[in-house]
Amino acid sequence: MKNKLLMKKILMYAFIIVTCAMFFFPFYFLIVSVTNASIDVTRGQLLPGKQFFENLKTVFDTTDIVNAIGNSSIVAIGQTFIAIFISSLAGYGFEVHPTKGKEIVYTLILGSMMIPFAALMVPLFRLFGVISGFAPGFGIDTLLGVMLPYFSTAFLIFFFRQNAKMFPKELLEAGRIDGLSEIGLFTRVFMPTMKTTYAAAGIVTFMNSWNNYLWPLVILQNPKNYTVPLVISALGSSYTPDYGAIMLAILITTIPTALIFFLLQKYFVAGMIGSIK
Amino acid sequence: MTEQPTVKKKKAGKLERKRKVMSWAFVIIPTFFIVVFYFYPMIQSLWLSLHSGAGIGLEFVGIDNYKRLFNDQAFITAVKNTFIFFIFQIPIMIFLALVFSVVLNNKSLKFKGLFRTLVFLPSITSLVAYSLIFKYLFANGGIVNQVLMFLNVINDPILWLGDPFWAKVLIVIAITWRWTGYNMIFYLSALQNVDPSIYEASTIDGASVIQQFFKITIPMLRPVILFTSITSTIGTLQLFDEPMNLTSGGPGNATTTISQYIYNLSFEYTPNFGYAAAVSYSIVFFVIILTVIQFRLGREKK
Amino acid sequence: MFNKKTALTLGASALLVLTACGNGDSANEGEESEGASGEPNELTVWTWDPNFNVRALEIAEEHYKQDNPDFELEIVENSQDDVIQKLNTSLSSGVETGLPNIVFIEDYRAQSFLSSYPGSFVPLEEYYNTDDFADYKIKAGTYEDEVFNVPFDSGVTGLYVRTDLLEEAGYTLEDVTDITWDEYVEIGKDVTEKTGVKWMTNDHNDLGIIRVMMQSSGVWLTEEDGETPYITDNESLKLGFETYKELFESGVMNVHNDWDQFLQAFNNGEVATVPTGNWITPSITAEDSQSGDWAIAPIPRQTIEGSVNASNLGGSSIYVLNIDNNELAGEFLGATFGSDVDFYQDLATEINAIGAYEPAAEGEAYQVESEFFGGQMVNKNFAEWTQEIPEVEFGGSTYEIEDILAVSLQDYLNGADLDEVLEKAQQQAESGM
Repeated sequence: MKNKLLMKKILMYAFIIVTCAMFFFPFYFLIVSVTNASIDVTRGQLLPGKQFFENLKTVFDTTDIVNAIGNSSIVAIGQTFIAIFISSLAGYGFEVHPTKGKEIVYTLILGSMMIPFAALMVPLFRLFGVISGFAPGFGIDTLLGVMLPYFSTAFLIFFFRQNAKMFPKELLEAGRIDGLSEIGLFTRVFMPTMKTTYAAAGIVTFMNSWNNYLWPLVILQNPKNYTVPLVISALGSSYTPDYGAIMLAILITTIPTALIFFLLQKYFVAGMIGSIK
Repeated sequence: MTEQPTVKKKKAGKLERKRKVMSWAFVIIPTFFIVVFYFYPMIQSLWLSLHSGAGIGLEFVGIDNYKRLFNDQAFITAVKNTFIFFIFQIPIMIFLALVFSVVLNNKSLKFKGLFRTLVFLPSITSLVAYSLIFKYLFANGGIVNQVLMFLNVINDPILWLGDPFWAKVLIVIAITWRWTGYNMIFYLSALQNVDPSIYEASTIDGASVIQQFFKITIPMLRPVILFTSITSTIGTLQLFDEPMNLTSGGPGNATTTISQYIYNLSFEYTPNFGYAAAVSYSIVFFVIILTVIQFRLGREKK
Repeated sequence: MFNKKTALTLGASALLVLTACGNGDSANEGEESEGASGEPNELTVWTWDPNFNVRALEIAEEHYKQDNPDFELEIVENSQDDVIQKLNTSLSSGVETGLPNIVFIEDYRAQSFLSSYPGSFVPLEEYYNTDDFADYKIKAGTYEDEVFNVPFDSGVTGLYVRTDLLEEAGYTLEDVTDITWDEYVEIGKDVTEKTGVKWMTNDHNDLGIIRVMMQSSGVWLTEEDGETPYITDNESLKLGFETYKELFESGVMNVHNDWDQFLQAFNNGEVATVPTGNWITPSITAEDSQSGDWAIAPIPRQTIEGSVNASNLGGSSIYVLNIDNNELAGEFLGATFGSDVDFYQDLATEINAIGAYEPAAEGEAYQVESEFFGGQMVNKNFAEWTQEIPEVEFGGSTYEIEDILAVSLQDYLNGADLDEVLEKAQQQAESGM
């Protein structure tokens, strides 16, 4: 019995380690590449080299990566907090207080997820041209302009609603008996109960925002406002790209998202719901 | 409410009304944002799709753009390719993501956070880095072919990037690799909302781990599985990054997707934003059909 | 615990961030209105490639500043695809905010921009003498009889060859100079057989080499009107397909799938020749260990009446947008890229850029012997070949038709009949117009 259990355990770890190795391999290549010269990167050199400091110098000499990380942080953090708050309001509202009218609105909102963003870009840019006219702080070439279309997204509303389906609604009745207002029910019952859902939403929103490319590219004009992906793309735009430096820039800028994930995944611990009751 | 004494009825009615108003209050701000930043551009885009011409030289053509789709070889090929990716990639990825989330949710597992992070890493690895390494791994003399030949799975190297069939396989592998960890997050978070006592009870009843996976985990996670399958459907139908960076749509047009075609029509060729908008709405059309099917399937089994 | 406090903190921090970046933006806003769009002495440029276009602009700025010390140039660097996207989005939405004064556009795409956005670009004839430039460059930016571009890099092609490998197989540089593509293929077979090194490398999706062949014969994918697809009756194209197939089937072609593998192929010594544009020079010379082994020869010609040993691949020109300050932009370009011989010397010395400006070739920088290329005067050679490049009308459909032809080529390589695949391509191209 004990042996069988041990075997099972070994098998499980073997499976996990092999899988993780497969998922990690390209990232390993990225890490190794930051120490190699461009020519070795394109050759697929899998061992560390000695070019790290040269690459570091190139990155800091040719790009304003620190500034870009600052911009990306403002956008990603701001967007994450605001978007998950606003979108979860809607996800909760649609699920907990369903009415016919709301279902129609909800269906339409889902529809807005289906069109490729590329098709919305020109009209959206025109809209921001108008916004720039009376509220330049929210318009073209501003970080707020980058965030604005993502404060409320069908994706997050849909996500929160689907998760709200698993939310034990009897908790609301209990809260009402305790005399909580409707807003109190949301902030003091729903939000704390669904914290793993918020953690997941936080991770993906941060990540999507950090990596967002098309919209910042179009709306940002001044390089001082550039976010990380724009700087990296420009770095790789050469006929003679310096891959060692590009890889280093990528590695530096991947770390924040990885860190956020590592910190927030701790919320994914079984039985959280029990502790709130 | 019915059990409440009649004296309180009036108050209850007021409360009910208040609650109704409040419930709209929850959705009004998010909906406002969606209307301004999505509905408005969508309507503009729909109107644009009834026009055709180069750049700003657009003329009203009615539904001609939509008629043109049926005779457009490039579009038809892109639709075919996109659907092939959709059919093979989504089930594989969702199943893998479920398995990983269950395995990496195991209470007694050590280094859980590390393993989870490793599986999640691909989705945040920049496209530049990952397309470079994928092309290197899957080159004709690359590691993947060498391993497969060493294991005697194949005799000649597979032309991963040069053969229309294998290039599609490569794209499916690449998307699965990149997005499995991403979808795993949703399952991991949802698993925490499943009452552990259900598992305990079934273990006592003698259910195996695999039985629990199919009989408890999957049914309990149904709403979230529905969410991931629909968002992945949308993601795949709008697939752009992988074919653009790995195969450039090639060989020939074997991996060109609808989104890539939209990109080409808007930026790579002399821009025809009207026709590009019509192609975009074809995606909306396909997604609506697939979403309705998935909602139906998701509901029936309940 | 995740309770009311947390929720409050969450909301509060959201507000905080919102106001914080609101402030940050208004600060930027202030800075900006002093800069790019407002100041009469400052111009903004959109371009790509930090080592080439951006450097060229920096050098131009230095030169212009000698007489105009107040002048400022703000260079915004994006990839070429991104520049195209931004420009299309801005121009088609009619929003002028944030548009640059100057933009680089690849020659193959110029007609598409000029015809799609009439009135958005400014004619530039008055700022420089167009006769000083190779005709094919001027033609690329000419729309409805007005010249909208100041030419930049020539895109002149050459045949880069490994002389050590040639020698090993019993050939000299002379044997690959001024040859036809047929001769090129024959020598290639021999060299590959004797040395075991492939003759050249190509990506089946990139028909650049066929474009090179067509321009050397003075034709293009569309007829002289720039619109009618010219495929089935195009002898040059047909011959190009045949040459391509021969190169592939005889086993002298190495097949790569993307740019990095392309660079890798010659840096690793896997191919003996590289027939391409002169912008590849820095990538070739990146491999120090091959110094002295390389040489350049004129690009092969086709066995067609009028085909010459000179052609063009890629290359871009500079355009001025029709917004405030366009006079200054025109003057700046006219005084540097349009007429400054010294500036072109610096370009050649610092970034190996060969312009299409004829008087520049007399300068000293063009007479320098390159050690890497066995003592050849590389810049001078390229400058001479530039003047021989036939002019063609690129039209606005180059990439559209090429995407169709990439499929045709695939079918043809897989054994389909050449006339049939071209016939199909012609029909498809016509239906798309």
